[in-house]
Amino acid sequence: MEKTKQAKTPLTKMEKKIRAKAIFNRWKAWLYLLPALVILGLFTVWPIINTLRIAFLNDYNGLMEVGGATFSVGVKNFATVLKDPSFLTSLGNTMLLTVITVPVSTMLALLIAVALNSIKPLRRLLQTIFFLPYVTNSIAIGMVFMAMFNMVLLKGHEPISLGIINTIIEAFGGTRINWVNAGSSKVANMVVLIFYIVWNALPFKILVLLGGLQGVNKQYYDAARVDGASRWRIFWRITVPMLSPMIAYVVITGFIGGFKEYTSIVGIFGDRMGPVGADGSLNTMVGMIYDSLNDGSQGIASAAALILFVIIFIVTMINLYVSKKKVHY
Amino acid sequence: METDNMEKIETPSAAEEKSKGMAEKDIKKTARLQLVGKIFVQIGLYLFLTVMAVIVLFPFYWMLISSLKSVEEYNALRPTLWPEQFVWSNYSMIFDPTKTGGLDLGRMFLNTVYVGIVSTILSLIVTVLSAFALSRLEFRGKNALFAALLATMMIPGELFTVTNYITVVNWLNWGNTFAALIVPFLVSVFYIYLLRQNFLQIPNELYLAAKVDGTSDLKYLWRVMIPLAAPSLVSITILKMMGAWNSYIWPKLVTDDSTYQLITVGLRELGTRLSSNASSPNFPAQMAAVVLVTVPLLIVFIFFRKYIMRGVSRSGTKG
Amino acid sequence: MKKKVGAVLLAGMMACAAAASVAIAGCGSARKPDFEMPEGGFDTSKDVTITFSHTMGAGLQNALNDAIAEFNLIYPNIHIEHNMEGNWGDLHKTISTKIQAGRQPNIAYCYADHVADYNVSEAVVPLDDFLPDGAYKDVKVSAIKLNEGGEQVLDENDNPVTEEVSFNLTQDEYDMYNPVCFKEGRNISGSEKLYAIPWAKSTEVMFYNKTFFDAHSERISVPTTWAEMEEVCKEIKAICTEENLSAVPFGYDSEENLFITQCEQRGTKYTAAEGDHFLFNNAENKAFVQTFKEWYDNDYFETGSLSGSDYTSTLFTEQKIFMSIGSTGGTTYNIDTSSGTIPFEVGIAPVPQMDSDPAHMKLLMQGPSVCIFKSDDPQKVMASWLFVKFCTTNLVYQHDVARNNGYMPVLKNEVMMTNPAYATWIDKANGKENLTALAVKVAMQYEDKYFTSPAFRGSAEAREQVGLLMQGVLTGNKTLDAAFNDAYTTCTNKYGK
Repeated sequence: MEKTKQAKTPLTKMEKKIRAKAIFNRWKAWLYLLPALVILGLFTVWPIINTLRIAFLNDYNGLMEVGGATFSVGVKNFATVLKDPSFLTSLGNTMLLTVITVPVSTMLALLIAVALNSIKPLRRLLQTIFFLPYVTNSIAIGMVFMAMFNMVLLKGHEPISLGIINTIIEAFGGTRINWVNAGSSKVANMVVLIFYIVWNALPFKILVLLGGLQGVNKQYYDAARVDGASRWRIFWRITVPMLSPMIAYVVITGFIGGFKEYTSIVGIFGDRMGPVGADGSLNTMVGMIYDSLNDGSQGIASAAALILFVIIFIVTMINLYVSKKKVHY
Repeated sequence: METDNMEKIETPSAAEEKSKGMAEKDIKKTARLQLVGKIFVQIGLYLFLTVMAVIVLFPFYWMLISSLKSVEEYNALRPTLWPEQFVWSNYSMIFDPTKTGGLDLGRMFLNTVYVGIVSTILSLIVTVLSAFALSRLEFRGKNALFAALLATMMIPGELFTVTNYITVVNWLNWGNTFAALIVPFLVSVFYIYLLRQNFLQIPNELYLAAKVDGTSDLKYLWRVMIPLAAPSLVSITILKMMGAWNSYIWPKLVTDDSTYQLITVGLRELGTRLSSNASSPNFPAQMAAVVLVTVPLLIVFIFFRKYIMRGVSRSGTKG
Repeated sequence: MKKKVGAVLLAGMMACAAAASVAIAGCGSARKPDFEMPEGGFDTSKDVTITFSHTMGAGLQNALNDAIAEFNLIYPNIHIEHNMEGNWGDLHKTISTKIQAGRQPNIAYCYADHVADYNVSEAVVPLDDFLPDGAYKDVKVSAIKLNEGGEQVLDENDNPVTEEVSFNLTQDEYDMYNPVCFKEGRNISGSEKLYAIPWAKSTEVMFYNKTFFDAHSERISVPTTWAEMEEVCKEIKAICTEENLSAVPFGYDSEENLFITQCEQRGTKYTAAEGDHFLFNNAENKAFVQTFKEWYDNDYFETGSLSGSDYTSTLFTEQKIFMSIGSTGGTTYNIDTSSGTIPFEVGIAPVPQMDSDPAHMKLLMQGPSVCIFKSDDPQKVMASWLFVKFCTTNLVYQHDVARNNGYMPVLKNEVMMTNPAYATWIDKANGKENLTALAVKVAMQYEDKYFTSPAFRGSAEAREQVGLLMQGVLTGNKTLDAAFNDAYTTCTNKYGK
């Protein structure tokens, strides 16, 4: 080593440079990531760490802590969550909603994005229309669902208002369905929720997939067309694989978001988390968490959040594993 | 789950393949058939898009008509699909300081624009750098870091409120500053992940070629990656701007000085202020305010749409 | 690989959590010192700014701004910044968060339930020392004198004349309040101390369709007891059948209020502030719930949520029900404000009772109270108290509040009537264009009949659960026993007995 150094002085400089560059290259990635990591560390990781701490403090309540109370360390919060009779209902509802809404909304968004991409007249108008939900206030969306599904009933008399959907059903000769009111079936409730969630999820997914479609190299299409491949074949053999990173993104984030579903249920059923008389029947994991938070039981809320975290983490790892095999980068 | 579905639906293509094989015998016939098929497909596409458009548009329509209803009509037991009488005063009411209690909506709007622009620009820079590192650079612990980043998305954010409030107000002393409204939300793993996926779509050969040419990373990022990922960047821009549109509790917590308050706070308060009863806001007036705020957004949106769809004309999927 | 990642991640987080416990515990308590009167009392020479969080709509805010303007003539050095924090749920959440950071406002609108929550942090100032026989009864504050017209009294040099006034409530001032006002805020979590006082009050009353009752006066009259109510319901149903009306006799806005009021009227157990809290799971309560279930099955009544409309008042104005039991705070809903008139004349009566003996009368009292939070600066606590005292004893402000929302003043009726504007307003009360005044007038007639339910950590849950149990039974989704058991278990699982 020393020999070469002495013998070839001009190379040393270069070597130093290379070595410095190697070190830089090794740490370069972290340099690029630094701003993100600092901010995430402060505003996301730190609260998560605090959540962890709170989860293991029995019956933790932040206001009590301020008042000078101390809490014993243990897993009582976890036991409380697991023993809670609504835990299994909530977990079941969460899973069911996620497993149905993610594939449905992804497929629909994909079809809409591809369709938008393959028409010519009116394309601009339709594209603009599909972006409109973004500028629609969330309060308006909640209101419209009440108008669509809610019936106003009068005990012992014909309903005063059927809701828009039932009016349409009856106009076509069908029988009205009790969607969300007292005495409605869980199946009907779920249908409304799925409709709501898919509807809410669509605009974002369309946006992402439409954006992704622009990244697909048009040469593939040209080649496929020269080969005379059918539209359907082009869709499955070119569009879907080329779009697979975006589809994977939409599915994986969809699952993560789906497991955190909560607002849609409150939007339709209110804090009762179920139709009148069947409170809690549609509760979800995050619903449970927020309920505990509102009661001031931050310890229990944190424990429930960690249990949920483990579930989402496992599902996401499976998703990532599958996508590694199927996604074409 | 999702791939299962894909495979199931894929089966019809086999049938199509067969018919195509037969059709090859008579090219003329095929051409005619193809034309008819094409027309059918086009009709189908438009029908599908129109139905979906109507569904998607309905809440927007509802927002518009609600903003013109009277409070009574809005609260009526039977919802009306068209206002019985147009109450334009819902709009003029917003600008009447005696009714809004001096709520400075103009100021709040400008604040929102300021916060929106600053946080979008900063957020884009941070997101682009991170996504680049995660998609193009090789380093130890990359997979672990990526998994850890995704993991941060898996805990409901409401649990962070108290800790973040203490951090921002007591440690950083950012009470009543724009920083408190911007910095905590600057980094979103959601967007980093989106952009990373988009960057991954860009062939690695381009990067290696650039390396051989001695192009620096940043130059490559600026000259090649960013233009190619423009649609995703525009999506992030839009999402980021909209993000500020629905939050209420946080801005309200960290700003009690109206100089720093955002339009979201104003919109929510407006309904209550214009109502005689705090438990039931004046929704028509609130919707009117929402519509007014939406107009400039819509213009920005239509402007950006062009960029999202840039290159569509070059792509071969059409007709 | 992934397993390793998970394990490392979890281990790392555990380590950090341990560090966090130390770090956060070490960062100092956000707890503020107890209030102690500083040497020299309230300093009128230094500016002091206090914050007030509330849920007021524009009308009430305008009234508040007027009150602040008058208050500032007396105490020009006190600046009041008030903030609407959204709805009651938002307010509760925001203040809880702020307390944990030691950033609570100085004054806040509250329900007694909220105070029970806030008080586990010992953040709330007990007000006992500020009462007529409290510790600071001899403390004087120099205030600028106002004349009858509410203007500053000036001396020959045009300087405002000051007078020494009591910092505490004087006995005369104390006697102005409706005594019930000091009950709810005193019994929070079984504490003997007074932690909150009412800002304005509301109660439930029965709005009835006077036009309809007058038209059928030979068959029905306004029920004053539940037994009469049952008879009236039967008769109204008969009338509806004869006249082919699609309507139900009466509506009750809130199932929880129905339950709580029934407990009080029948003398059965609901909750207690001390000892075992949740006492509502008993045979007597099951019996009355069963009665209402039968009434519901007979189509005698509707509730807001069961009918799928938000409030029964909408059913009332559209003449789908003829009696609507709801809060005086929601009086304005029973007026069709678009035309400024009501399609029929509205009458207002007290909620039906168990018997017609006035001594047995029980009416639920609700509405916003205020509490004062501890602060590092005792001047702020004192300024807050002076403001609360000013607003709650101010006849003009209390009238403004009543006019805006149908809230009842916290002061006695005889005291309020000394305000000529209020007296005229009450005098003009009627069921057509002055319904709010009518609601207040009726509610104020029974000012010694009010009760409040005990507040403690978990009282809000109890209230919610009894409402849900009524819904469960009325809809037939749950059996009587199951509904009571579910409600009881939910409460005790969360808060213990």
